[in-house]
Amino acid sequence: MGARNTDVSFGWVTRALHWAMALGVLAMLGFGSYIARMEVGMSNIWMFGVHKSIGIVLFALLALRIVWHFVSPVLESLPSGVAWKDRAAAWVHRAFYVLLIVVPLSGWIGSGATGLDVLLFNRVTLPPLAPVSETWEEAAFAVHFVATKLLALCVVLHIAGAVMRKDGTLGRMVRGV
Amino acid sequence: MKIILATFCLWVAAAVSVWAMPLSYALDAGESRVGFEVPFGPDQITGTMPVRSADIALDFAQPSNSRISVVLDVGNAQANFPFATQALRGPRVLDAAAFPDITFVSNSIEVQRDAPSKARLGGDITIRGVTRPIVLDVELFRPAGRAPGERELLFVRLEGAVSRAAFGATGWDDLVGDEVSLDLMLRIDLEE
Ligand code: HEM
Repeated sequence: MGARNTDVSFGWVTRALHWAMALGVLAMLGFGSYIARMEVGMSNIWMFGVHKSIGIVLFALLALRIVWHFVSPVLESLPSGVAWKDRAAAWVHRAFYVLLIVVPLSGWIGSGATGLDVLLFNRVTLPPLAPVSETWEEAAFAVHFVATKLLALCVVLHIAGAVMRKDGTLGRMVRGV
Repeated sequence: MKIILATFCLWVAAAVSVWAMPLSYALDAGESRVGFEVPFGPDQITGTMPVRSADIALDFAQPSNSRISVVLDVGNAQANFPFATQALRGPRVLDAAAFPDITFVSNSIEVQRDAPSKARLGGDITIRGVTRPIVLDVELFRPAGRAPGERELLFVRLEGAVSRAAFGATGWDDLVGDEVSLDLMLRIDLEE
């Protein structure tokens, strides 16, 4: 099985990106909710660093994915035979792209607005994207909050659609064909 | 502080002193620092701040003539993990760029009757440009092994607490407590 997508199959690059991001996003939805509600102390403050780092990696994977889709366009969805379902599926896919930009970007903006360094795996300091300001911080994290809830909704719809349709859609994202 | 300290009844010893004037002391900045501690969830953030300068005059005959003023170096404050150091110096807490000093100036001293090496030191503390009254517990020590009555080299320990909110240093008040306890240890040498 090749790296590129063909008219009838997903190459391994697209599938690897899909599943890596699926795993990452699912984990991050749970992890983010956990860190936002835990009692923060010396023993767990590092978790914010991990959340930010994985989030930035997912952001980079999304960029890679968009570039890859220009290099090797994805195949058409299989028609389900029900028009509203096909439209819903297409809208959820579009929403994923929008939310997977908005979610990490808002996290990055909000984190930078606190005035603290945003560190990638405790090594690389990322530039702040906003001035140090409580207004920016609150607005960005409000966006992060709402967008992550919408993202969770899309995940539910996406998984439900993939599992419920028995036409090989799920199989070709797993095996390629 | 790794030095073994012994308390010494300085204020009382002074009653028989030949000194009639307050004695001036020079700060040994390299051996002086303030430690601080503030609640952080179930834990404490701890750290230190260098002492930039101090003006200390002790009158052992007439303790109320003594004065202790201290300037702390906010820009070099250090906490026990990097984010806390950055937060502490940054605009939401101490704002070292705009307010590089924390100053304390004493205006009253009350020696404890039962513990003459200890006193209550009243004064004003200025943090982030905001000045508020504060009372510190002060205790004088001489290094272990020094002869009683020797006053050339002393340690001054000052302890107290401040509310962050009173000075507008409220950053991260959802995570970090309001009351910061302070523990200064100054090493001072008698000036000729
Ligand atoms: C795809 C990537 C990401 C996902 C899925 C994600 C998900 C989440 C979720 C679900 C929450 C909990 C929100 C709540 O219910 O209060 C959260 C909180 C948070 N996220 Fe993210 N996040 C991502 C990327 C990032 C990035 C890149 C950063 C920063 C560089 C970041 C910084 C934060 C911070 C600081 C919080 C805690 C906010 C608070 O304590 O209220 N996130 N994230």
